[in-house]
Amino acid sequence: MNRWTGELQLHMKKKTNRTVAESVFFQGAFKVMRPLYLDDSGQACYYILNPGGGYVDGDRYIISVHLQEDAELLLTTQSATKVYKTMRDPIYQENRFHLESGSVLEYWPDPLIAYQDARYEQKTIIDMSQDASLFYAETMTPGWSEDGELFPYTKIHLKSDIYIDGKLVVLDHLRFMPQTQKIKGIGFLEGYTHFGSLTIIDQSIDLYLEELSQHLLRDYDECQIGFSRLEVSGILIRILATNTKQLEDVFKGCSKFFKRRFGRAVPELRKY
Amino acid sequence: MDNLQLLSLLQLCDSNLPVGQFSHSYGLETYIQDGKVHDKQTMKEWLMVYAEDQMCFSDGLGCYLGFQALSEGHLTDFWEIAVRLDAQSLSRESREANRKVGMRLLKLCQDLYPNSILDMYKQKIKTDHIKAHPALVFAMISYELHLSETETIVAYLYSTISGLIQNAVRGIPIGQTAGQTLLHDMKSRIEILTDRIKKLSIDDLGATPPGLEIAQMRHEHLAVRIFMS
Repeated sequence: MNRWTGELQLHMKKKTNRTVAESVFFQGAFKVMRPLYLDDSGQACYYILNPGGGYVDGDRYIISVHLQEDAELLLTTQSATKVYKTMRDPIYQENRFHLESGSVLEYWPDPLIAYQDARYEQKTIIDMSQDASLFYAETMTPGWSEDGELFPYTKIHLKSDIYIDGKLVVLDHLRFMPQTQKIKGIGFLEGYTHFGSLTIIDQSIDLYLEELSQHLLRDYDECQIGFSRLEVSGILIRILATNTKQLEDVFKGCSKFFKRRFGRAVPELRKY
Repeated sequence: MDNLQLLSLLQLCDSNLPVGQFSHSYGLETYIQDGKVHDKQTMKEWLMVYAEDQMCFSDGLGCYLGFQALSEGHLTDFWEIAVRLDAQSLSRESREANRKVGMRLLKLCQDLYPNSILDMYKQKIKTDHIKAHPALVFAMISYELHLSETETIVAYLYSTISGLIQNAVRGIPIGQTAGQTLLHDMKSRIEILTDRIKKLSIDDLGATPPGLEIAQMRHEHLAVRIFMS
């Protein structure tokens, strides 16, 4: 028996003007279709499908992506990740991204929705070359319960370690346990319900950092946004909002700056 | 604990220790300017979340793990903890605050307690991908003073919390007496947090509540500031 409920491995390379798959492997509860090319940039795009419809007790998932030199990939999901009741073992997902020199990864999954008593642990390990680029956006909703009560889940742990040329540069660890924390209050969600996090790493960030900062300070009154330049060439943006659309808007707004530096527009991810 | 150990610890935890802790609010100033922290009660609410949900998993845990690594003679683990403790600090100002305060504490302690581990830490900072952090300098000194694990964590939490309360007294402002009653109230909490920290491992390092972190980041853009973080 395989130890993973769902497994996806993508190995991409740049071939003349396009990024193509060197190898694609999936099994169990994960699946991808053929890569899409949303614009004429040659960047490949995959939608991860979860035909099972959601994560249940004891599930274990792994996504492993390897981008060879100059390969460009946009990786997203087909729909929200639903994490159901977890009575026995917490659900575990591992993401491993290996980005070689000059490669670009945009990882922009749909929101995470945790149900009553759900426990979810996610570990992301990004191992990138100093001149690779990363755009990593994540969205967390207040979950879903039958009686409409917000934050019905037990635990969400999201851990991301980013290594650049083998050195640990970012250790991002979020820990939501609504039953023991005052999650709606001061210090946590400050009265907001939705949380978004965006990490951009790009060796040319300083070309647009100031403009991006002004944009973030000026254009999103409905959200509470904090951002900081990282130790390496990059920025971390944290957002508190009251719905997923507000978070999507911030991500899209930031994506424009990131895309523009590669001379591109933000593609429309038509999902629904 | 003998008298010399006690006196050394009192000196180390004194908020007058010239390491610059008084210039750093770790995001508290943002809450003060937002009007969310404006009196003793709201300060207490902020402090509880900060202590329980950020400090516990960063400084507090770092101090404990660092002390453990030294006691077991695992210096490689100690440097690994130093890398992680720095990498988990994602607000630029808080990260720089820790480095600055850590460096000043390190230099001061080199004068007070010349010993080889402190020198080695200083050397690592010069040559390697290692940064100064007050929690780790504190762990080194406690180890040199032969304090226990529990004494180390309790004292470190106390000194940090007491520093933050001093800053609140000036920054909000609240009365000196209100500050001292708040510190007194936090004593039982420090014991609980110490027990909690001892149950954590290196995998828990760095968990940060988003609201606190956002306030620490937003501090960079406050128009008028009396604190550097």
